[in-house]
Amino acid sequence: MSLKPGMSTYDVLREHGVDRRTFLRFCTATAAAMGLDATMVPRVVEALENKPRIPVIWLHGLECTCCSESFIRSSHPITQDIIFNMISLDYDDTLQAAAGRQAEEIREALVRDHPGEYVLAVEGNAPTRDGGVYCTVGGRTFLDILQETAAKAKFVVAWGSCASNGCVQAAHPNPTGAKPVKDLISGKAVINVPGCPPIAEVMTGVLTYVLTFGRLPELDRFGRPKMFYGKRIHDKCYRRAYFDAGQFVETWDDDGAKKGWCLYKMGCRGPTTYNSCPTFKWNNGVSYPIQSGHGCLGCSEAGFWDNSSFYDRLTSIPVPGIEATPELIGKTLAVAAGVGVAAHFTSFMIKRGIGSKTENVEDGKD
Amino acid sequence: MATRVERFDPSDVAAQPHRYFRRKYVWQWPIRAFHWVNAICILVLFATGLYIANPILSPTGEAYGNFVMGRVLQVHYTFAFIFIVNFLWRIYWFWMGNPYARSGFPFVWKASWWRDLFRQAGDYLALRRGHVHLGHNALGGLVYTLFVIFLGWAQILTGLAMYSESNPGGFWSGIAGWVIPLAGGSFQVRMWHYLFAWVFITFSIVHVYIVFYDGQQYKNGLVTSMISGVKFYQEGDIDCDNWIS
Ligand code: SF4
Repeated sequence: MSLKPGMSTYDVLREHGVDRRTFLRFCTATAAAMGLDATMVPRVVEALENKPRIPVIWLHGLECTCCSESFIRSSHPITQDIIFNMISLDYDDTLQAAAGRQAEEIREALVRDHPGEYVLAVEGNAPTRDGGVYCTVGGRTFLDILQETAAKAKFVVAWGSCASNGCVQAAHPNPTGAKPVKDLISGKAVINVPGCPPIAEVMTGVLTYVLTFGRLPELDRFGRPKMFYGKRIHDKCYRRAYFDAGQFVETWDDDGAKKGWCLYKMGCRGPTTYNSCPTFKWNNGVSYPIQSGHGCLGCSEAGFWDNSSFYDRLTSIPVPGIEATPELIGKTLAVAAGVGVAAHFTSFMIKRGIGSKTENVEDGKD
Repeated sequence: MATRVERFDPSDVAAQPHRYFRRKYVWQWPIRAFHWVNAICILVLFATGLYIANPILSPTGEAYGNFVMGRVLQVHYTFAFIFIVNFLWRIYWFWMGNPYARSGFPFVWKASWWRDLFRQAGDYLALRRGHVHLGHNALGGLVYTLFVIFLGWAQILTGLAMYSESNPGGFWSGIAGWVIPLAGGSFQVRMWHYLFAWVFITFSIVHVYIVFYDGQQYKNGLVTSMISGVKFYQEGDIDCDNWIS
């Protein structure tokens, strides 16, 4: 990154030949994405014009890079350029030109020379079993690098479900002991931006908010920004009318599926998932899973891999050794109760039949 | 309390020479009201809950012409709140009512309670008449505590947690939102809520049977007592509610 430190986003954009009109369009779009009203747009403009860009260290642990893939496809704020110039991405081992020792030196220098100034963005998480050897970068365990870098960071952004809540590598039985970022560092504010991957506009929205207001966005009890994770998919879903009507897809090719009925019975996780998919959608707002006819997988919720099949409405009992659905257990209980009752009743009747012949035997009286 | 039953009155024998029953007003009206409201709530909640978990009706036509799931949810929520208010009412009456309103409490620190528990279980299994209670026997009390009180709370809290999901950070989420991380996620909360509903039904089957059996075996008018509040006992029966305080 050849840009001078201390430059604002606007400075950088001008240098790259972006005109002011485009810049203002970007500011308006970003303000809207953050749920701010029109009167707040000048604040966004002012911040991006004047505030020096945030230096960001972007670490990659155990992950698939889908968060980065999503981020670089951010389309809402018009150009990828803007996104990348909004922050001063000083270290990102996937994207940077430097490699090997040279790359690591950049990170070490930032931690040493700018303590408390940079934002640590983490994609992926760290395995903890066997001293964390299942993920190493430059000969050191990722766990070590993460803790060292986090200790001096201003705050931490946990990108994606891996960093926020563990995702697939932490799914049962979690062979490497992978843990989400918030469980590995202490004393630092962590913004969780879950999703597999998170929506690009959500990622840029979080960064823009931080840059504009100089503070963390309001977080919910899971550390997620409320502005993007404050509503369920189900409550914003355009198929909700079919849910309320009681019209459900039963098989993937039935009439209901063709008419776009609700996917509840196909295992849709919309009712248990908080994300912005129905609002921002994906790929320039083209579509999102439910719109494409497939239920939501709940990828932004903790433990979504462990909630049995993606096509089941109810998960199985999470007790080891019991591979049964609550439906089966419940019905078994009810039937067992019925059988027990019938057995008791039968023996009571038999005993009474005998009793009436032997004249009122009342035993056990105290 | 350990109420001693008075020796039976000879004048009663004249009135009812073949059976020497005496009456006692045991269940006050708030208890009886609680019971029937609770029973209706459980039935309605179970029926609507089954539909919500597995919506089998499939109305045809346009979505605007139907409101099946919406209506079922409305009924479910309405009865859920009646259930909760009724529950709180019962807690109030636990303190305000007569000693029988407290007789179902598991007095686990009392040896007499444990003795009664095992004796009652033995009596039920051996189909013996055994001793008579006017309040709850220890076994009944324990079962109600586990399967009505505890399970009731579990259903209320998991239910409210799900109810609160449409407005995270709102009033209900402040009250029951903590259940979701405790259960390991909202999907797990649904699973427990569904399973507990079946446990309720299992309880109800056993409960209804035992009430009829108990009424037959002890001739104590147990079934009608939940309507009239009156229970019967016979000459020579000892009131065994001696752990009630
Ligand atoms: S498709 Fe999913 S999110 Fe949409 S209404 Fe149906 S259950 Fe809810």
